[in-house]
Amino acid sequence: MNDFAVRFDGVSKHYPHFTLDDIHLELPTGSIMGFIGANGAGKSTTLRILMGLVHQDRGTVLVLGHAMPAAQAAAKLDIGFVSEDMRLYKGATLRWHMEFIASIYPGWDAVYAADLVRRFDIRPEQKMKGMSHGQRVKSALLLALARRPSLLVLDEPTTGLDPVARHEVLGALMEVLTDERRTVLFSSQNTLDVEQISDRITFIDRGRIIDTGDKESYLDRWRRLRLDVPPGVTLPALDGLVTRSTSGRIAVLTTNRFTPAFAAACTTAGATVTAVETMTLEEIFVTEVQQRREKEAA
Amino acid sequence: MNTLAQPLTAGSMIRKLIFKDWYFMRWAIVSYLALGGVALLLVANGGEGLFYAGSVLLFTILISLGIHLAMLTVVEERTQQTLPFVMSLPISPRDYTLAKVLANLLIFLVPWGALMFGALGVIAGRQAIEDGLLPYAAIVLTWVLVGYTLILAVALVSESQVWAIAAMVVSNLAFQAVLYGVARVPSIAATMKSDVAVWSPAALGLLGAELAAVVLLLGLTFFFQNRKTDFI
Repeated sequence: MNDFAVRFDGVSKHYPHFTLDDIHLELPTGSIMGFIGANGAGKSTTLRILMGLVHQDRGTVLVLGHAMPAAQAAAKLDIGFVSEDMRLYKGATLRWHMEFIASIYPGWDAVYAADLVRRFDIRPEQKMKGMSHGQRVKSALLLALARRPSLLVLDEPTTGLDPVARHEVLGALMEVLTDERRTVLFSSQNTLDVEQISDRITFIDRGRIIDTGDKESYLDRWRRLRLDVPPGVTLPALDGLVTRSTSGRIAVLTTNRFTPAFAAACTTAGATVTAVETMTLEEIFVTEVQQRREKEAA
Repeated sequence: MNTLAQPLTAGSMIRKLIFKDWYFMRWAIVSYLALGGVALLLVANGGEGLFYAGSVLLFTILISLGIHLAMLTVVEERTQQTLPFVMSLPISPRDYTLAKVLANLLIFLVPWGALMFGALGVIAGRQAIEDGLLPYAAIVLTWVLVGYTLILAVALVSESQVWAIAAMVVSNLAFQAVLYGVARVPSIAATMKSDVAVWSPAALGLLGAELAAVVLLLGLTFFFQNRKTDFI
């Protein structure tokens, strides 16, 4: 068994107005990676390269042990892919699509498909053109999930869904994720979705990966500290300080390498730590992106 | 667990994609064949006016079929965003191109072949129409295949509605030029009203050139598709 379901090594892709730059990404088998980035950050390009649908200019991509894009036909036999811009044939019913996919994938699980039909509250006899956006997304997910792939690649599948449909889709995904052999790469702008289901996080911005790691330790090492800094007190250089803002005596620090020693260093300098707050994934993401963009602009 | 799936090869995936396009085009094929049958009836049984009307209808049907096919099976795959679904299946871009070309050619060749040989049969069998018209009719009807291949090639390579429409305009203008020009090729014009079909070297040369153009256009299609690096 390959240790990594997906491995990007020095992958670049240049377009006239966008460059995906030197992407290194490893997705261990059985993990669930949330891939977070703003619009145009490079999430979809990265996932399309992963699927062999876009060829990288440089670097190597291995998916389930297959070199991409050369061996994409073999790799895609074990991948379920759903993207926000994917549509099914509007003149055909969901039943037709299910039979079409079943005839291709040996792992198609008809019992599970029937279960998903019931759970997603969709009708197999209905043509796609009569379905709402949420029903179409759920249909595409059903087709990807019921083939029981080793790797599930989801490019913003919850975009545009109403809260009920989003809840149903996330519920089905969380159930899928109980299978430890299945690897999932899930891109989204919605950090709440990612926080809910992922065990690993990767941030991408302007074509570059800005951070990647285990979600729990990631959330654990980011903190926001609120300090009371009396006049005349100067805070020392702090290892892991990401941002600092002050207003009178009040200082707010964010760090991506929080330890008790970080707070102790502030206290030793004469400041009072009034609060140490955990941060949401969204706050961390926004902080990382802003910090990086400020560095680039400087 | 699924029992429908057979061991998957590139060939079996290509077959599935061809059947898929056939399935979506099945009513269009039947409709074009039925309309083509009406056109042949007019050509076979009408007077001079109906013969002309039947001929125009026949060419219109064949040209429309080509445009309809390329737009529905190729351009719409992109505009309707079903291309990501197809390309997520276990196929390579080369498999996709091969499936599209084969599906389109098969779908087009069935009605085109039936209507072309039907038309040639009507000319050969009807006393009121000189058999000398056969080479001219064969060249003009074969041009419809060339024009269709041009539209298909441009649609596949560009995946653009605009470029596909441009190819249709070029193809239709060229069709008018072929109608006019072939009738003025001396060896064809001289025998067009004779009682027997005369397959002169010029007529055979033109037919050969048309078939070579079809092969060349398909070759160029694969050449440009192989150079593509982005598929959705």
